[in-house]
Amino acid sequence: MSAGRRNPTPLTIVSASRLHDSRKASDGAEWSKLMARSQDGDREAYRTLLEDVTPYIRSLAARCFKQPSDVEDAVQDVLLTIHMVRHAYDPGRPFGPWLAAIANRRIIDRLRRDTRRKAREVELSTDHETFAEPSANLHTETADEVALAQAIEWLPPDQRQTIRMLKLNEMSLKEAAAASGRSIPALKVATHRAIKSLRRMLKQQSNSP
Amino acid sequence: MTETPDLIDALVENAAPVRRLRPPLLRAGLWLAFAATVLGLIAIAHGVRTDFSDCVRQPLFVLSMIGALATGILAAVASFRISLPDSSRLWIILPLPALAFWVSIIGYGCLADWVSMDPEGIRLGETVRCFATLFMTSVPLSIAMLVMLRYAALLRPLEVSLMGGLAVAAVTAFALSLFHDLDATVMILIWNLGAAALVATLGSLFGQSMLTWMASHFTTLPRPDTGP
Repeated sequence: MSAGRRNPTPLTIVSASRLHDSRKASDGAEWSKLMARSQDGDREAYRTLLEDVTPYIRSLAARCFKQPSDVEDAVQDVLLTIHMVRHAYDPGRPFGPWLAAIANRRIIDRLRRDTRRKAREVELSTDHETFAEPSANLHTETADEVALAQAIEWLPPDQRQTIRMLKLNEMSLKEAAAASGRSIPALKVATHRAIKSLRRMLKQQSNSP
Repeated sequence: MTETPDLIDALVENAAPVRRLRPPLLRAGLWLAFAATVLGLIAIAHGVRTDFSDCVRQPLFVLSMIGALATGILAAVASFRISLPDSSRLWIILPLPALAFWVSIIGYGCLADWVSMDPEGIRLGETVRCFATLFMTSVPLSIAMLVMLRYAALLRPLEVSLMGGLAVAAVTAFALSLFHDLDATVMILIWNLGAAALVATLGSLFGQSMLTWMASHFTTLPRPDTGP
């Protein structure tokens, strides 16, 4: 081994979980101090504490609730509980377990309440929805529109073009004649036949299930 | 729905200084001191049972009194301990050995020395006075317990009301044995275990809702109910 060769620096591997744990421990000590100051009426310390713990509570709540609004409700419930029992915190004890116990307790309570409610109630799908006004039942109109568009597609090309120009694009007979190069009587006949065919096709569709 | 940052603003706005809770052992001690005061007042008004000096010479009587008192003290300690969110749920087993000892002593006493109750043994006057003692002891002690532990409504209402109910029940049974001469074995059973079971059942049935009621009426903010 040559004298000039330096010993390699030993690698220190710190796992992500250890980093996370040490972060949590330092957070806990900091939170403990902030809570002690909050108990004495320091509002800035209280604001810092609540803003700091909110993401942690949210991560706990997100494990149990899927809907973001449910998660946020649970977070707010926990924050309110912390506020109401903040006098019960002993600054001599670690803050982390105190917070986690309250958060878990309130989240479990909400889950139980949700489960009870779901057991009693039946969620309605759109099939169950009815409205007094016919215009509110839009999904039936949509089905009619789809059927009509499909029927237009099945028309012979000259009839399809005529219907599109005169009925869908609302062109006048003169404009349609100029655009297509066909005579006005020819367009009139094509329209008449197209409407007759459409009526027949839609009638067939409504008769067959 | 209120946004979370808005809620934090509101909570910070309401963040008045609070007085920290004293250690649970001290608070249990305060409650027990209150219980001793109540029993002392009843003793002054009513006087202890006439045959008290004879009773203290009977080991079974003394042991059952010790059992009831130990159950009351340990259940009070457990209820104050368990009301703190970060304490272990296992505190619930603290009074169980004393409870088992107390029940077994009463049971053994009944088996060993069964005194049957003759028709003349049923004295209405004494029964009514027993009821009076039952209420005078259990009602103020229950109210004191509910006020002192009202914050637990949001955390562990069931366990706290169960332990609190047991503490009140055991102290009440102790008071009944102290103030009333219960000759017949059936009377001892009814007044000790019956009263204890009654108070503990009422505590666990209504303790939870009473704690919630106390919490909503004696705290600065209404009970959170952000659900739909």
